[in-house]
Amino acid sequence: MAGSNEINANEAKKVVPLHTWILISNFKLAYNMLRRPDGTFNRELAEFLDRKVAANTVPVDGVYSFDVVDRATSLLNRIYRCSPPENEFSRQPGAGILELEKPLSTTEIVPVIIFFHGGSFTHSSANSAIYDTFCRRLTGLIKGVVVSVNYRRSPEHRYPCAYEDGWEALKWVHSRSWLLSGKDPKVHVYLAGDSSGGNIAHHVAVRAAESGVEVLGNILLHPLFGGEERKESESKLDGKYFVRVQDRDWYWRAFLPEGEDRDHPACNIFGPRGINLEGVKFPKSLVVVAGLDLVQDWQLAYVEGLENAGQDVKLLFLKKATIGFYFLPNNEHFYTLMEEIKSFVSS
Amino acid sequence: MGPYDSSISAPAGSSSTSSSACSSSTKPRQPPDQMDHLLAGAGYKVRSNDLHQVAERLEHLETAMVKSSPVEISELGHDAVHYNPTDLASWVDSLLTELNTNPPAAVGVPTDLPDLHPFPADINMYSNNPPPLHGEFSQQVVTPLEEDVSIRLVHVLMTCAEAVQRGDLSLASLLIDDLQALLGRVNSVCGIGKVGSFFVDALSRRIVNSSQNGVVQDDLSAYENEMLYHHYYEACPYLKFAHFTANQAILEAFDGQDCVHVIDFNLMQGLQWPALIQALALRPGGPPLLRLTGIGPPSPDGRDSLREIGLKLAELARSVNVRFAFRGVAASRLEDVKPWMLQVSPKEAVAVNSIMQLHKLLGPGQPIDVVLDWIHDLNPKIVMVVEQESNHNQSVFLDRFTEALYYYSTMFDSLDACTAQPVKSLAELYIQREICNVVCCEGSARVERHELLATWRDRLTNAGFAPLHLGSNAFKQARMLLTLFSAEGYSVEENEGCLTLGWHSRPLIAASAWQAVPEPSATMGQINHP
Repeated sequence: MAGSNEINANEAKKVVPLHTWILISNFKLAYNMLRRPDGTFNRELAEFLDRKVAANTVPVDGVYSFDVVDRATSLLNRIYRCSPPENEFSRQPGAGILELEKPLSTTEIVPVIIFFHGGSFTHSSANSAIYDTFCRRLTGLIKGVVVSVNYRRSPEHRYPCAYEDGWEALKWVHSRSWLLSGKDPKVHVYLAGDSSGGNIAHHVAVRAAESGVEVLGNILLHPLFGGEERKESESKLDGKYFVRVQDRDWYWRAFLPEGEDRDHPACNIFGPRGINLEGVKFPKSLVVVAGLDLVQDWQLAYVEGLENAGQDVKLLFLKKATIGFYFLPNNEHFYTLMEEIKSFVSS
Repeated sequence: MGPYDSSISAPAGSSSTSSSACSSSTKPRQPPDQMDHLLAGAGYKVRSNDLHQVAERLEHLETAMVKSSPVEISELGHDAVHYNPTDLASWVDSLLTELNTNPPAAVGVPTDLPDLHPFPADINMYSNNPPPLHGEFSQQVVTPLEEDVSIRLVHVLMTCAEAVQRGDLSLASLLIDDLQALLGRVNSVCGIGKVGSFFVDALSRRIVNSSQNGVVQDDLSAYENEMLYHHYYEACPYLKFAHFTANQAILEAFDGQDCVHVIDFNLMQGLQWPALIQALALRPGGPPLLRLTGIGPPSPDGRDSLREIGLKLAELARSVNVRFAFRGVAASRLEDVKPWMLQVSPKEAVAVNSIMQLHKLLGPGQPIDVVLDWIHDLNPKIVMVVEQESNHNQSVFLDRFTEALYYYSTMFDSLDACTAQPVKSLAELYIQREICNVVCCEGSARVERHELLATWRDRLTNAGFAPLHLGSNAFKQARMLLTLFSAEGYSVEENEGCLTLGWHSRPLIAASAWQAVPEPSATMGQINHP
């Protein structure tokens, strides 16, 4: 049961910087207004409140972005790229457009990360300010390309829409001639996501493995998993660090097919209805767990499940991190994470 | 990555931390208007000095919410009107008010100027979509279809535009031939083929006419103009959005007023006004006396088209029992209108309505300044400004050309998706004339001098206007309007109190509302902290 409000506020304030506390609390309270008890969602107000930013082809801090609509699916992908230094000052007419013809490199390997934003399958968009900022940082970090997918959200679009959109995005990325790199040109694809985005990355990777489509690695930032059972972390941390179990339950009810429970394989990966990943050519995984996230026991179970299936998985456990620690570069967990991601995509 | 951002402050009394920054008590006091950079990256404007107070307010808000039932909380999402979520402090305060909690003295909102939310004059924005600077290299990425031909088409268009800018007209002419050939091979029914042909046409006109005194677009007859406008109005939601949003805001601004006067800067066929007349008719407490002054070009051959529209509107008003008076003001250019022509009475509440007109005043001589001055002097309750959201007023031709190519490609994409109107050629012709003006014309002939919302904000603020925020109710209704169109892909976005309508994530039209700030007095300039 959630503790008294004052105690919880003080708990969270002790471990996160002021800015982070303000940002995440703001989301928490806004989201409380958007979830209706009957399971519907106030989408109008959500879109109104969500701070969005336009793509910007003018490089800022060495990164520029543009949006592409996949005409087949009407899905929007926001592409982030590093601006090569020489273009910053030369005025080549059509230089930006030419870059869409040529591969990223014919000699070097340039990683392409397909990023699925978080929001418990319900909130945010590829052009949400927090995710645009995060993707820009990621792009500069890996010196590659980030493709942020604007997947369809629940409750308007339940399982499996988000996974299908993720799969379409993967195929789309693999078929872009201008994302090729390396001497034997191919698109060097990684999947990444935070919260529900991490969940989506997992499922897209499974489908990719089953279909023989290559994914070089998965980066899951406190991915959203769950199950019917109540894990210890859920009871212990309920309401303490911005998140309540009852909220998590609402989002699962909004995402899973009506009438389903949390042991559905979308949610409980290695649970009673989970598939067996032994022998599957699954990409290596970097799973980041925030030690103050009530979902952690499910994330740790996921890591264990991957290990038991003989898969390559690295766990990054950040003991004092709360959810959303990576939105602002004002804490050590952020920098630790960035270092890990950088070495993950260059090894 | 470097050391931690210096704006980190550890909460007082905490045992943290790995932070190398000083705690808030020893941090040097920032200038009052300094916006926090970290939160700016998340889309919020909070003054650095207000951070602790905002945190406190959030705690109060949470406490208040904890005391309410989930039903009450989601009703808060329904019934309360939200404004400008970027201003986090005000947003939190407004919710506290809704929950009937008494907040401590408002943070950052001047209490002596009710309903005004002035922006600090210079805001240090952190990597948040700055508009391209004059002359700064801007890579325009126009995503081609999967054919090599369309990529080549765009490439040659840009090369040709660059040759035009350099004055190398013989090369440019050769490239026009190339372009015609490419157009022949590209699918000209949609996408880059369609809009590409308009740009090729515009470039070739510019080349042909530049030895003369520049291009002057053929004037269409008033009838032809109206027809194109009407088809554009029907084919896509941009004008409807403009009218709808404007009427909402005007209706709200006229609340409680018995005598109201709307000044429409471009009456056209008066398509905007039936909805407002009907809304006023249904107003609780009854309709006001409505005066409408419609500005438009003089009609040739003895017709008085302004008066004809006025008569039709009068008849509608009569049928719904709204006392109505119309006046037409004929002027070929907006700058020819003088305030005495509008006959504004001091007792009436004035609304100035400018749908894609103000940009025409940005040409030589900048008549915009004079016009904004007299608008201000009318002391309007609301000035509604809707403009194309793009920078087509750059003096460097190539920049303008590139920006326009990107903007109109997006607009044509959106037009393509509207299946309600199978025949769009006249709507496209309307847009084509805009393209031609942007690309071919110079000097006073170039009237389509669109500028970005951010620029308009600065201009209007400097001219003595303060924003009237469009809220979640207007946003919601604009979204509902869009569902009437079969095309998915249109998006309404909230941008610091303004609303934009765009295609996917690219805003194409921006609507903002303003009111005149009283002439400078002691209160202005002291708006930082109470």
